[in-house]
This record gives sequence, C-alpha cells and structure tokens, in this order.
Amino acid sequence: MTKIELVLTNAAGLHARPAAQFVQKASAYTSKVTLAAGTKTADAKSILAIMGLGLGQGSKIELTADGPDEAACLDGLKALVESNFGEG
Amino acid sequence: MVGIVVVSHSAKIAEGICELAGQMAAPGQKIIAAGGMSGGGIGTDAFKIQAAIEEANAGDGVLVLVDLGSAVMSAELAIDMLGDELKDRVAIADAPIVEGAIAAVVDASIGQPLVSVAATAAGARELRKK
Amino acid sequence: MANINAAIEVLAQAIIANKELLTDLDSAIGDSDHGINMARGFEAVRAKLAAANSGDDIGAVLKLIGMTLISTVGGASGPLYGTAFLRAAVAAQGKTAIDTDTAAKMLEAAIGGIKDRGKAVRGEKTMLDALEPAYAAFVQGMAEGQALPACLSLATAAAAEGVEYTKTIIATKGRASYLGERSIGHQDPGATSSYILLAAVTDYAKANA
Repeated sequence: MTKIELVLTNAAGLHARPAAQFVQKASAYTSKVTLAAGTKTADAKSILAIMGLGLGQGSKIELTADGPDEAACLDGLKALVESNFGEG
Repeated sequence: MVGIVVVSHSAKIAEGICELAGQMAAPGQKIIAAGGMSGGGIGTDAFKIQAAIEEANAGDGVLVLVDLGSAVMSAELAIDMLGDELKDRVAIADAPIVEGAIAAVVDASIGQPLVSVAATAAGARELRKK
Repeated sequence: MANINAAIEVLAQAIIANKELLTDLDSAIGDSDHGINMARGFEAVRAKLAAANSGDDIGAVLKLIGMTLISTVGGASGPLYGTAFLRAAVAAQGKTAIDTDTAAKMLEAAIGGIKDRGKAVRGEKTMLDALEPAYAAFVQGMAEGQALPACLSLATAAAAEGVEYTKTIIATKGRASYLGERSIGHQDPGATSSYILLAAVTDYAKANA
C-alpha cells in the first residue's frame, strides 16, 4: 500500500471533466485506489463517489493505492493533478 | 463500451447534453442524441429513438437517458421495435438527464457493463448542488 | 364499413376541428398541447394517406396511421394512439371491409395496446375511461344482435359517459397526475379525444350503412 498527498490546483477542482479524467486514469490500473479528503473518502474509480465529494480548487487530498501497480498508479494520478488536468 | 442515447423533447437539449458528455468520454464512446421531432418541433419520436439505439450499440448494449414522462413511453416503444438480440441489452436510466448522462458516460468509458452504467446513472439522482 | 380512406378523413377532420377544445382541456390539467399534438398527427395522417397507395387492405392503412402518429404527435398520445392503431391493424389485416365482429376485435386490440404502452387501468382518468366502457357497450350491442352502426352508437354514448366520469376522479397518470386533487372537476383530454374519434367513426358508419 502506498500513500501520497496532493493539492488540487486547477480552477474547477474535482468536478465535471477533471473528475472524469481522474476516474478514467485511476481505472487504468488494477490497484484499488481510495481518495480521502478531510473526513470523506471515495473510491477513485467511481465517478459518482468522486463527483459527490464536491472538491474545489485548493482541496488537499490523500490518495492510497493498493495493488501490483500501486506506484505507477499514484505516479499517473499525481502527474494528472499537477498538470492541472491538462488545463495548464 | 456501453452506448449512450440521450432522449429529450428538445433536439437542442439532447445535442447539448451529448456535447457536454462527449468532453468526458473515452475515444470511440458512442453518445447519440435523439431529441425532438423530425420536423424540428418539441416532442419525442420512437422511430428516431430506435435508430439512435441501433447506432449507439457497439456490442455492449445501450443505456437510454430521458427527460420527461412521455419520453419514457417513446423509449419503451422504441425498445419494443428493436431486434431480439438488442432488445434485452437496452435499459432506460432512472436518472436526471444531464447528471445521469455525464456519470453514465464516464462509467461506460472505463468499460463497465450495462448494469453498472445504469446504476451509476441512477446514482446521479443523489448528487446535491448545495 | 366500406371505404377506409373516407372514414379516416372523417376522423382526422373531427380531431382537427376540436384542436382548441382539446388544447384548452389540456391547459387545465396537462401541458396544453394535446389538441395541438393530435391535430398535427392527424394532418400528417391525411398527407400520408393521400400520398400512399395503400389499396384496400384496411390493416395496411391502420398500420400506416399508427406509424405516422408515433412520429408526428410528439407527446404521450403518439405512442399511445400509435400503438392502438398498430394493434387494431393486426386485427384488420387483409380485410377490405369491417364487420361487427372485426370492429370488436379492433377495439379490443387497440385498448390492449394502450394499456400495455401506458400501464394504466380504468379509473385513473385516462383515455381508457372512455374506451373501456365503449368496448363493453359495443360488445353488449353485438350480443343483442345489433348492426355495426348501432353498436358504434352505443359505444360512443358510453364513451361520452366515461368522459363525464373523468371529471369526478383524480388523475394518477400522466402530466395531470402532478396536479393531484386539483385535477378533480376537470375532464380528461385523452378521454375526450378518444370519444371524438369514436363519435366520428360512428357518424361515418351511420352515413354509409
């Protein structure tokens, strides 16, 4: 199991298109991925769970991945978040 | 990937939702608009919906999003008119049309089966705005 | 009944003539478009029949009507009446004239189609509240040995009573159901259009007996 902490720096936060990209990226890996923000947690592969968190810009999130590709998974998600979901 | 069909009394609403949902879709994800009547007016047309379902099917079944009451009836009629193999693999989502379409497209894009995509769309009912 | 095209023309004209009435009724307890939708549908039916060469097969004509209504009415009446005509078409397949027995089967099939599509039953303030009593009266007339025009008259009278009855009950189906108790006191638009169609068929049958 591996854990990382990230901050959402993109304008929309984890809504709409970024949420979709996040879920699609997480789903590309076999590891189980959980997102925690404050007291809330969500399955990173569930669009409903992620959208339901309503996380905006500036939110601190903790990602936990558990599985054979957990390192690559977190690297991929980190890169996505840090690229502001491709919005520069 | 499960295909998505968006049925609205308004062609513009259906097209707009498809455009929005398209932004969240994986390449190759079928999202087909089936709104309004052939003459351009407000209403639903079961034949248009039938054609949209057939177009949306890529082999994994189709989820149909609908707006108001009679859209459900038109969609059900459309499904009745499909061929036997496809008929059993089409579901009408019990979901708000915009939020349900978005959630369904994301779920379909990650390769989930129809039963999951339908449940995800229905789950969008619970998404709060405030 | 001999000429299906002439009969349908009478039906279409009756609906188109009552476009405002049906829309007004639908303004009280619906979304104000029943008359508009039905008139559009039946205008399209007239155009389609004029252009088609359906020949004498009444079933073929009814099928064309059903399909036209489905794609031009727009609201719930499209699938409902469309299915009704498609089911009636099956009962009239290959027929070039309608006798009392066939008419009964057509009405029964039409009602079955509406029930399957709309998932309603009598007493929910829908077109069934006109059509089911109409069918019962028709069949009663048949049992008494009455001719087709007489059976249709009985059916139409029963449908009229059904329409009156809809004023007294609460809507639990369709757009009117959103009004709940406020729907009481208002006549159902769908029951009214069903009555109008039956009355038109009856007029035609009596005029061409």
